[in-house]
Amino acid sequence: MDAITISNLSKTYQSRSKVNYALKNVSFSVREGEMFGLLGPNGAGKTTIINILSGLLTKDKGIITILSKDPEIEKEAVKNQMNVGAAYSFLTGILTVEQNLRVYGKLYGVKDLDQRISHLLKIFEIEDLRHKKVFILSTGQIIRVILCKGLINNPKVLLLDECTVGLDPDIAQKTRKILKDYQKEQGTTIVFTSHNMTEVEQLCDRIAFLHKGEILMIGTPKELRKRIKTQSVKIDIIGEKRKSLRSIVERFKVKVTESKLNMVIFEIRGEVELPKIINAIIKEGLEIIDINVRKPSLEDVFLKIARGEQL
Amino acid sequence: MRWYRINALMLKYYYITINRLDRIFDMLYWPLIGLLIWGFTSYFIMDLTKESQVLNIFLGGAILWTFYQRASQDMGNYILEDFWSRNLYNLLSTPVEPQEIILSAVLFGLIRSVITFGLLALLGAVLYSFNIFGAGIFVVLLFSLALLLLGWVFGIFVTGLIFRYGVKIQVFAWSFAFLIQPFSAVFYPLSSTPLWLQKISLVFPTTHAFEGMRYAFATGKIAWNSLFFAFFLDAILLIVMYYFFLHCFKQARKVGIIAKME
Ligand SMILES: Nc1ncnc2c1ncn2[C@@H]1O[C@H](COP(=O)(O)OP(=O)(O)OP(=O)(O)O)[C@@H](O)[C@H]1O
Ligand SMILES: [Mg+2]
Repeated sequence: MDAITISNLSKTYQSRSKVNYALKNVSFSVREGEMFGLLGPNGAGKTTIINILSGLLTKDKGIITILSKDPEIEKEAVKNQMNVGAAYSFLTGILTVEQNLRVYGKLYGVKDLDQRISHLLKIFEIEDLRHKKVFILSTGQIIRVILCKGLINNPKVLLLDECTVGLDPDIAQKTRKILKDYQKEQGTTIVFTSHNMTEVEQLCDRIAFLHKGEILMIGTPKELRKRIKTQSVKIDIIGEKRKSLRSIVERFKVKVTESKLNMVIFEIRGEVELPKIINAIIKEGLEIIDINVRKPSLEDVFLKIARGEQL
Repeated sequence: MRWYRINALMLKYYYITINRLDRIFDMLYWPLIGLLIWGFTSYFIMDLTKESQVLNIFLGGAILWTFYQRASQDMGNYILEDFWSRNLYNLLSTPVEPQEIILSAVLFGLIRSVITFGLLALLGAVLYSFNIFGAGIFVVLLFSLALLLLGWVFGIFVTGLIFRYGVKIQVFAWSFAFLIQPFSAVFYPLSSTPLWLQKISLVFPTTHAFEGMRYAFATGKIAWNSLFFAFFLDAILLIVMYYFFLHCFKQARKVGIIAKME
């Protein structure tokens, strides 16, 4: 079952003189209980997608269903089962954490609200902030309160836009674990945007790569990494050069990205070349002490797409 | 429209009120200051002129004007709290509807206004032996309601503007409610103003409300035509502004101002 389906979604922003496409015929679906990542460079359209899903923004064109319903028509039913969390949003600053959560709980019609609030404060380990006014909280504290708000109605669909920006590595790690555990337990469908590759790789079952309002690829982190054919190889040699290491490697028509007297880094596309290159280096009498082959990371995929390079 | 959501929003306004001193101040302190100033002024002028209607005209005018002004600002203040806090993003992701936002602010404003009104009526009686109900409870309540309605109309208008153009517009927006004071015949009868001004004044429901109040104070009778025009104009403005607000809201969702709201 798909929790969210999007087909041919387009959105433009009118500026004074011209029309800017924020999304161009975007189509994808998110399965129920899936953690789905939206990745892409700044301005790719991730936030635009999240905002259209949450009803803050209207679409120009396209069909969306959330939990098998049209969110424009069955607005209340959809929104009651959905929630959002964004690091750049805020809550009513003059209200305490508990007051904010209480108001949101009531807006979503949550039953047993007291219990729900206590439970969420506990799992995010912020029970001590309960009676603090929100405007005095630190960024990291607010993000956790916002996540509590995001889960207040035990949503079937949760949209998170850069929700871990501003957390220190330790808390970020903890927060990711809490989200993942919660998702496993409740079967929540989560759409997640982030610039943090490790985070996305750790959390998401599938990822869509967006660039300039279009989806370039969709797949599991592993599948996406496989799309990069090139691998990066680093070779270190001992002692002084008798012949330039770089020039030996370059004979094989590979792309050298960095080189020193006793070290070279280059990219290869298949695995056939590597033994030949190593042989050639040894034949020239150079002594290899280390060979390091690096498989592409998600970040490499991301950077290549962002720079418009070929994979 | 759901009552439990309107209740939730009113609960929020209640929290804001008890947490924020200025929201208590503008409910109690500022109206009180107004009462004191106009009370003493009235007494002074009464001494000079030996005219007993002075108290009714000035103090009655001041109390009712406060009423209107508070209503117009209250609404915006509470809704604006979410803009200031960048909370709109979260608020509008809930199933809440724009109508519920308006209605909750109106209802909460009504409660506040009743408290303010009660306080002023009581203090007016204690300090200046001024009976605001001297014109008849029914008349006073009706004209007060007419003024409240206009206050809300302004509140809705300003909120719409802010939804559409952002918080930057608020300084300009607030002055609207004050701009109509000279045209509203608050402290003087309409007949004492120049003819051209009278023509403009008749457009504002406030004029009819204050005229009707003075008439009631002077004669003890209800000026039905003032009452009718006050409510009639209110109703027209209310409908226009309500649709204006919905339009602004829709537009805001289209251009993405809510999501980008800073
Ligand atoms: N309210 C708006 N008015 C005009 N243009 C907008 C608006 N919001 C977004 N855009 C434009 O739409 C495009 C997509 O923006 P969006 O915020 O969706 O990107 P993003 O992928 O979330 O980027 P980031 O990683 O920086 O958060 C950008 O070119 C942006 O300038
Ligand atoms: Mg974004």
